[in-house]
Amino acid sequence: MNIRRVISTIEKKYIIENLKKGERIDDRGLWEYRKMNIAHDIIASAEGSAEVTLGETRIMTGVKYDVGEPFPDIPDEGVCTIMAELLPLASPLFERGPPDEQSIELARVVDRGIRHADCIQTKKLCIQENKLVYILFVDMYVMNYAGNLIDAGGISALTALISSRIPEGELKDGNLEWTGKYLTGKDIVKELPLILTYGKIGDIIFLDPNLPEELVSEGRISISVTKDKIVSIQKSGPATFSIEEIQELTKRSMEIGKNIREKLNLWQYKVSND
Amino acid sequence: MPLIINDVYPKKLFREDGKRLDGRENNEIRPIKMKVGVISNADGSAYLEWGNNKIYAAVYGPREVHPHHLAKPDKGILRVFYRMATFSVFERKRPAPGRREKEISMIITDCLEPVLFLELYPGTAFEVFIEVMDADGGTRCASTTVAALALADAGVPMRSLVSAVAVGKIDGQLITDLSGIEDKAGEADLPCAITWFNEELSLLQFDGDMDLDELNESLANAKTALNEILQIQLKALKSKYTTILEEQEGGES
Amino acid sequence: MENEELESEELDEFESEETDREIVVPGEVLTEDVEHFIPGRGTLLNKNKTKIIALNIGLKQIKKNYINVIPLRGFYTPKPGDKVIALVIDKNPVKYKCDINAKDLAVLKPRNAIKRGRIKSFRGGSQGSSNMESEEFEVGDILIAKIISADRLNMPELTIVGKYLGKRVNGIVITIDPPKIPRVIGRNGSMIKLLKNLTKCNIFVTQNGRIWIKGENIAYERLLFDAIKKIENEAHTVGLTDRMSHYIESEKQKRGIK
Repeated sequence: MNIRRVISTIEKKYIIENLKKGERIDDRGLWEYRKMNIAHDIIASAEGSAEVTLGETRIMTGVKYDVGEPFPDIPDEGVCTIMAELLPLASPLFERGPPDEQSIELARVVDRGIRHADCIQTKKLCIQENKLVYILFVDMYVMNYAGNLIDAGGISALTALISSRIPEGELKDGNLEWTGKYLTGKDIVKELPLILTYGKIGDIIFLDPNLPEELVSEGRISISVTKDKIVSIQKSGPATFSIEEIQELTKRSMEIGKNIREKLNLWQYKVSND
Repeated sequence: MPLIINDVYPKKLFREDGKRLDGRENNEIRPIKMKVGVISNADGSAYLEWGNNKIYAAVYGPREVHPHHLAKPDKGILRVFYRMATFSVFERKRPAPGRREKEISMIITDCLEPVLFLELYPGTAFEVFIEVMDADGGTRCASTTVAALALADAGVPMRSLVSAVAVGKIDGQLITDLSGIEDKAGEADLPCAITWFNEELSLLQFDGDMDLDELNESLANAKTALNEILQIQLKALKSKYTTILEEQEGGES
Repeated sequence: MENEELESEELDEFESEETDREIVVPGEVLTEDVEHFIPGRGTLLNKNKTKIIALNIGLKQIKKNYINVIPLRGFYTPKPGDKVIALVIDKNPVKYKCDINAKDLAVLKPRNAIKRGRIKSFRGGSQGSSNMESEEFEVGDILIAKIISADRLNMPELTIVGKYLGKRVNGIVITIDPPKIPRVIGRNGSMIKLLKNLTKCNIFVTQNGRIWIKGENIAYERLLFDAIKKIENEAHTVGLTDRMSHYIESEKQKRGIK
């Protein structure tokens, strides 16, 4: 496989000319996702896990927990932190080393896309106010990069949390003990936010860019939606979006989000609590 | 801060019926599944499930060396990067590579180098990335095994495959293929790998206590197990093609 | 419609009768009869000279008394005379640097990028570039080029002077496993002819695993991509040419393409 940062002029021309006719090389419409696959609870060592493939893009996410002191400004809330690593095995474009801008952007966009609007119930992740809370680590690893890491990442993070089983603890005389029960998906996740990412080239906007489309895109916008709210928006890249375009895209996102949510039925990935 | 449920090291590593905790006989290896061609962007790749171990390996090369000063003018270099995911172990591991990962990376590099013809690729590098997504004992051996598959899948000329397994001693008895608990709570651990072209060991470490007879017997047990591992590797490499051939034969009347 | 020279010396090793359907892997013993057989391509005699061993994953082939392995996987190694599809990734006044899907970048010097039909007669002794106009390329250009030199120590050198060589202004390039390229061409070009006729696409196949394609419309192009992918996956099987013909016809029906 031979991907370079330089994309050929004829490929760029090919993609744009076809997008103008509403055509894409993988035979999709402008507002269609590639084939998506979800596997959950696949990592024995993790408290929760999910592997999502979107076209050839593949992301593996695991959830681990720890317990610790809460942040002083939110003494009754647990903590959920999201990290991403673009593994060098996933693409000749990725280098080894500490997380770079692209990994940080992925982590932060997914973080804002699924944590806000009370989707993650951090108040339930509290053992004792001011003293002890759960800290959830959601770590995403990109295993193969073929465009649109954000949408795949969002679903993998959400599914990993839904499939989690965190041992429930309580403080008895200052000692942390296991109640014998577990916190599961319904305790952690309340809403099902989905992140939808669009690419933009010239005036054309399209959903779920594959790799060549992403490399050719001048801009990108990710919109996260629950069944009735917009949760977050992130625009990146030098392209500009008109207000009408934003309005159209948020409206579209609600509709597409609703369809995808029904199709994916993510609650099926909740595990039992015994 | 201690976790709510802590990692337990059982006192006895054998059950009442004489079998190991996971039901195996002393010389039985865990169930192993292997598949090649799993990372489409890589030049070669493989995936392995060995007991609860889940490991990906991908090869890129020959390609330019970064940083440049590591390149050798007369031969290529092999670089292996062994890393574990934060969630692959009981207590979340810090994301950055630690000393153990760096040590294992070096050991696997030395282990695989003898089968390659690096002198044919001066100034370039073959990079093997190993990602342990779930760990349960014997990861360096499983990683070596899957990395060899990835190299073969990449079409890199090799003198032969390389297979690895860990043997050892638990509760006074010699066993093959230590699981995570057996590794942590056992008395001796001997990971080893064989390069099949000369049937010699290219990876060998030992930790614990054994007498000379036990060591000799362990090495003999290892040889048997390594053969079993090789058969699984061969099947994985060939099945990508043989399933298609079988389909053709079935279809042709 | 372009007609490319078919590399008629290009034998389809995959379909030849001498090629076994047996898949061999690195280290596999191909024979212990070292008196009768000689180690050929992709093989090695072991240290004790008692066995011939495969070095790659591939198909075993016996030609006269040579044992060869036709590799099924591998990377491209530039050879003089090879036609390649090059992507210009860097340029400076003295040369272009191109990606040719190999371990090294390749170099194209302006004197090897002469515009067609503009070569004026050489005045004795003068090497001034005013006699010849080089074509100007930009980063991102796709060129069909030929390798004029390639050795262990230097970057391979390219030329675009020649028939069918030069910059492409439309179409698209896909990349497959370089060892499978002969299969896409086929014995005496049988496979590539079939692909062109049935999908009505222009196709230019090069040695570095890259294929340039231009079809009437994207539906045909998609069909061709899928067909090439199928060839890549089934390169090791027999009767592939017939099966491809069948596949393309039935896909045309399924997809509603005429």
